[in-house]
Amino acid sequence: MEKQAGAAGAADGAGPNRKPWGSPTSGPAAGDSLDSPTGSHVEWCKQLIAATISSQISGTVPPDIGNRDIKAGRRPDFLQDSQDEMHCYHGEGDSEHPSNASNLPALRYGAQVRMAQNQVPLLPGETIQTTVEDVMYICPFSGLVNGTLTITDYKLYFTSVERESPFILDVNLGVISRLETISVSNQGENTKGLELVCKDMRSPRFAYKTEKSHLDVVEVLAKHAFPLSHSLPLFAFLYKEQFPVDGWKVYDPVAEYRRQGLPNESWTISKMNSTYELCDTYPSILVIPTNITDEDIKRVAVFRAKHRIPVLSWIHPESQATIVRCSQPLVGPSDRRCKEDERFLQIIMDANAQSHKLTIFDARQSSVAVTNKAKDGGFESESFYPNVELNFLEIPNIHVMRESLRKMKDVVYPTIDEAHWHSAIDLTHWLEYIRLLLAGAAKIADKLESGKTSVVVHCSDGWDRTAQLTSLAMLMLDSHYRTLRGFQVLVEKEWISFGHKFAARVGHGDENHANSERSPLFVQFIDCVWQMTRQFPAAFEFNELFLITVLDHLYSCLFGTFLYNSEQERTAKEVQPKTMSLWSYINSQPEDFTNPFYVDYEHHVLYPLVSSRHLELWSSYYARWNPRMRPQVPVHQTLKELLILRAELQRRVEELQREASSHSLSSSSEHSTSPSHTTGTPLHSVV
Amino acid sequence: MVLDRKKVACSLQVGGKFLPQVEEFKYLGVLFTREIVVNEVNFVRKCISAESSQDDLWGKLICTNFKVSFIPQDAPTKQKSKLSHLLLGEHDIPLTCLEQVVTVNDTKGKKKVLGSNQKLKFNPTELILYCKDLRIIRFCFDEAGPESAKKVCLAIAHYSHPADLQLLFGFEYQGRRYHEFKGEQVNGSSPRGGLQTPIFDRPSDWDREIKRTGASEWRVCSINEGYAISQSLPEYVVVPVSLADQDLKKYSIFFTDQRIPLWCWNHPNGSALVRMTSINDPLQQKKIDQRIFTAITKSHPQRSEVIKSDLDKCLPTILDIQCAFVKIRQICVIDPFEESEERWLTSIENSRWLEYVRAFLKQSAETVYLLDGKNASVILQEEEDRDLCCVVSSLVQLMLDPHYRSLIGFQGLVQKEWVMAGHRFLDRCNHLKKNDKVESPLFILFLDCVWQMMNQYPAAFEFTEAYLTVLSDSMWIPLFSTFLFNSPKQRAQHLMDFAKNKAIPQGEDQVVFFPPVWNWSQQFSTKDQTLFNNPMYVGKGAACVQNGEVKSFRRTKKNYSSTLRGTPSSMRNGLRGGEETLPRRGSLMSELKPDFSVVKDESPSERFFRDWFSRPADQQGVLIPLLIPSHVVLWKLFFLRWVPEACIHKGGPVTAYHKLSQLVDEIELLQIHLRRYKGPSPCSTPLPSPSGPPSDQRRMYFKASSPNDPPTPPEYLTSSFPFTPVGNLCRRSIHGTPISKFLNGARIWLSTETLANDTV
Repeated sequence: MEKQAGAAGAADGAGPNRKPWGSPTSGPAAGDSLDSPTGSHVEWCKQLIAATISSQISGTVPPDIGNRDIKAGRRPDFLQDSQDEMHCYHGEGDSEHPSNASNLPALRYGAQVRMAQNQVPLLPGETIQTTVEDVMYICPFSGLVNGTLTITDYKLYFTSVERESPFILDVNLGVISRLETISVSNQGENTKGLELVCKDMRSPRFAYKTEKSHLDVVEVLAKHAFPLSHSLPLFAFLYKEQFPVDGWKVYDPVAEYRRQGLPNESWTISKMNSTYELCDTYPSILVIPTNITDEDIKRVAVFRAKHRIPVLSWIHPESQATIVRCSQPLVGPSDRRCKEDERFLQIIMDANAQSHKLTIFDARQSSVAVTNKAKDGGFESESFYPNVELNFLEIPNIHVMRESLRKMKDVVYPTIDEAHWHSAIDLTHWLEYIRLLLAGAAKIADKLESGKTSVVVHCSDGWDRTAQLTSLAMLMLDSHYRTLRGFQVLVEKEWISFGHKFAARVGHGDENHANSERSPLFVQFIDCVWQMTRQFPAAFEFNELFLITVLDHLYSCLFGTFLYNSEQERTAKEVQPKTMSLWSYINSQPEDFTNPFYVDYEHHVLYPLVSSRHLELWSSYYARWNPRMRPQVPVHQTLKELLILRAELQRRVEELQREASSHSLSSSSEHSTSPSHTTGTPLHSVV
Repeated sequence: MVLDRKKVACSLQVGGKFLPQVEEFKYLGVLFTREIVVNEVNFVRKCISAESSQDDLWGKLICTNFKVSFIPQDAPTKQKSKLSHLLLGEHDIPLTCLEQVVTVNDTKGKKKVLGSNQKLKFNPTELILYCKDLRIIRFCFDEAGPESAKKVCLAIAHYSHPADLQLLFGFEYQGRRYHEFKGEQVNGSSPRGGLQTPIFDRPSDWDREIKRTGASEWRVCSINEGYAISQSLPEYVVVPVSLADQDLKKYSIFFTDQRIPLWCWNHPNGSALVRMTSINDPLQQKKIDQRIFTAITKSHPQRSEVIKSDLDKCLPTILDIQCAFVKIRQICVIDPFEESEERWLTSIENSRWLEYVRAFLKQSAETVYLLDGKNASVILQEEEDRDLCCVVSSLVQLMLDPHYRSLIGFQGLVQKEWVMAGHRFLDRCNHLKKNDKVESPLFILFLDCVWQMMNQYPAAFEFTEAYLTVLSDSMWIPLFSTFLFNSPKQRAQHLMDFAKNKAIPQGEDQVVFFPPVWNWSQQFSTKDQTLFNNPMYVGKGAACVQNGEVKSFRRTKKNYSSTLRGTPSSMRNGLRGGEETLPRRGSLMSELKPDFSVVKDESPSERFFRDWFSRPADQQGVLIPLLIPSHVVLWKLFFLRWVPEACIHKGGPVTAYHKLSQLVDEIELLQIHLRRYKGPSPCSTPLPSPSGPPSDQRRMYFKASSPNDPPTPPEYLTSSFPFTPVGNLCRRSIHGTPISKFLNGARIWLSTETLANDTV
């Protein structure tokens, strides 16, 4: 993609005093701007742009920078007259109202971009590795594009000026899953073909002459796309950015537990794991029952897979029912027992005076749980744990999910089969698994809310499906997690600190694409969140762009947020001191990621309707590289315009009121009552 | 029990205000004055929920010559979340709304679909009414007298199959209403009761349309006055000026039912949209085609070519459409919920309904290309020109002309392209249940297509999906003239007979004595009608009011006249004084660089669409829908509103609508304040929506929130709002199945506590 996306944004956001931020870099890529009817409104541009950070920073490029080619130089202008065919957005006549600039605030924070000689925008800390001329981009939509390919230690940057409007494809290297050589025999001798199979549902292809390049393209790409396999650092450690907000401060476990009303008489905040000796995949701070000794806990740890003992994730503010997470008990084929573990669950039950029961939700398929006994795992026997009810949520494992998403890629990229679109989606079973997850989470939430009963959630190790289920249930139960900051806390807490193995599941910087540890579990979780935002359009403070941005940086390796498998590893690698947090970037410009419809559904438990009738394929994420998949004009665009109008009217009314009161006291008192009624409305506005 | 409803009927005509006793009568069972109780049975149980019988209502089931009515013993708890109909109670179903009457005897395991004049060999224990508006209503007779139950069932079946159109209750109702209302009619008031929707039954309506669209080379022709030429055309049609009445008469014999080609609309560039039947005589076809083409070409300022598009060849037949609708209805409401959950998308695909919706949108979009991109006139041809042409011509006009996206414009469009063009509403709706083979939900298909565009361009239409849904429901209430007849002639004849029978003086306006559906105060209170207003459209209009004051925000009605080819702007003068001329995207093609070509082997139409989509959509300009399958989706409000299992509590698009409405209401209040401060000024008076109530009345259903009124959408909002599934969809087969069972292997997902709370 495309310059156009970025550039379009530039046109939009460019007020008289604002430098265009789109021009020299690209949006992420997507579809090939050249080809086809594709997107053109602000949100879409923003989404595409957000897909790579590089696009966000370009705003600071001085437009008059030297030896820029003519086209690039005039881009911001010609955008205004709709010359460029793609991604350009003008909104409804927004060129006429200056206030519209605030629709698309420039993404301010992101660095001074250095422009290399050949117009490649660079992030602070980014260096060019090689530049190859005369490369063909094999666009699945519009054929071949000839241009220059630049590879840095962060991204691959392809530009072409052979057509009417400049074409840019910008792919960050972190998103690459594997490099494949392809046959391009029709391009003549000495030509190699290369396909970049990406984790985010696209696979751009190139053809290049071997003789012309000094360095082999594949070698350079492989080195920087998979730095860990080549003993190089991840780019996050090279990225030198200054954000005004420090995202590492977003999550403070003690503060979060205090918000929940902890510690209390039944639960205590324990530092037992401060050196990660008890459990190396758990965070250092844990909430455990008050009435249990350290010795007992150690024995429980031995009985639970990977020592992941039952710990509190969330407590109901009224009923004191809790969500407790752990791993499977190691009952094994001989049905071993552990009386400390049994007592532990009894104490969890007793901590909640409202119910004399405890429900265990085992995320796995019951048949799999049984099989696990043979591997020394298993599940709690209801006969050994009195008053405990065991439910299997029947969710298939990570391998099934990986395969499902792989099938989805075939459905959405590069082209779609219009006649069989719906049935093809059904065949991937992706939405079926989304349905299972949401249904499981809804059951958990309902058990707490209506049943006032504490629940224990686990799968096998308690870091995949368990994280999905507890975080979704908490999203339904606690309106705080539906805010922009609260959601960050939820991800930091349930996913990052509790040791979802991001490094293994995503494979950051690792060339072993066939590793069976990889699986899109976090993508699946974000998809579930998106489904909820679709059903409750006013209940979430963050917007779709936020969710897409989170997923883009799940792969990009630009921020330290999702790196490594556990808190212990992150501490050892000094992630916090040496890298930036994704939340620094997000929270430095929160208005871009805020849902203008948001109203606080405080104290409302929101159950999504878990029915195929309401689950949709998130095509603006999965199918965004297809230029024909232009998303629909979002309602919130109009809403934002209306908010601006309201603000303007309020200002005028107030002005007139002031005028009136200065002219005549009597008239002002006459009018003063009614306007206050309207201006005092709590409608949430981000203008 | 026949209650005289005189007062009530009168109050309805005043509109907006209705007397408190109406509310009371509602659950006592209100009958219109000429409504006759045919049969009734006591101690009937109306099933409310499939889960359990604890919410079921006990009461009396009545069959009248108008409706099936259920009168519960206890006063119902007032449901806030419901649109309340002024003519129908919560438990009333007009007989014309019945699709199928099914009686069941549980103990004997028998089931029978009842028709007219049939016998029933068993005593029914249950009556299931399948309704055309997709409701399924179930009554149980466990405590009722078996004989009376049987009689009521037979009566319902019989009276829902009227032998003659005149037996539809509308004729009784309107006759009575006319005379009662007449006394109160103030002399000098506008003869059509203030109805602003053009009916297109008189030359002036057509003249105005010709002027509005700048079709200066077209004229109103009255050769069909008294239906002298064609049985199915309106009395007045628009034809090229170059064709004389004599020629038209001569040619008419070659067209099916003597339907001479019918002008629909003119593009500002001069291209015309025309609809036409096929030509019977193959020998004459070429010659006639030639004459028609020449005449249309002559009426084009640039003498552009004429392109004929044969809709029979490229679109599904009316039978295909009926078949798809039956399937999708089966999946959405009739099949057990859990079963249809499995492979839901595949079932939807297999029904082909969405495929047909796409096909019609695509055909229309291609016609838009011909008119707008290619600057050519288009003839839509169909064998009879009374079915597919109605859908395509009205969609094309909606895409090209923002006027039709206003409420009045849309209603005029339906009058022009459906009612007056002779769409066989009587047959396609199968009101008399005489012939299932001619039944086809073309109008619903059209409404679905409109909804798809509305869904893709949410600020482009003045009205909402609730409006479209209510409009579709009105097809099944036989009290309005709009959907009762096959042609204007049939209407005229029936209404003439009717006038004679009811002693209505000759020369009285049909629209007054048998009004169309467009007078919405017949059915809904002023407050409920505000649910039809789209805040995004109204809000932008509101900004327009302040044009000149709030310069930063105005509706983007650009005047493209400088780029319009050929048509002097004076010809495009609006129909209302001062109204903007049609905003046009205009000649985009000429602005393109000649060397701009991206896709190899791209056809001009592909290029036109690619070019259009590459620009930001001007929602007040030309609109082209996205046709990829991911963007043409199921119209959930219409298809799922009655399905309790599919109802999202506290959620759904309505929560966004709620917020938008509050915001727009607040904006309007602020503007009122501003005006008050400024005093009267010229820019403060006009409101953009001629249909809206006067500016001092608020146009939003949800009012700006006040400090006492929390901003959270009210608890009662659901994805079905303003409809409610409660008691409106009771499938038989699922007894005691919790909603939960549909989950793969998983047992329950919501506990009974939650369910109990939710069903209230």
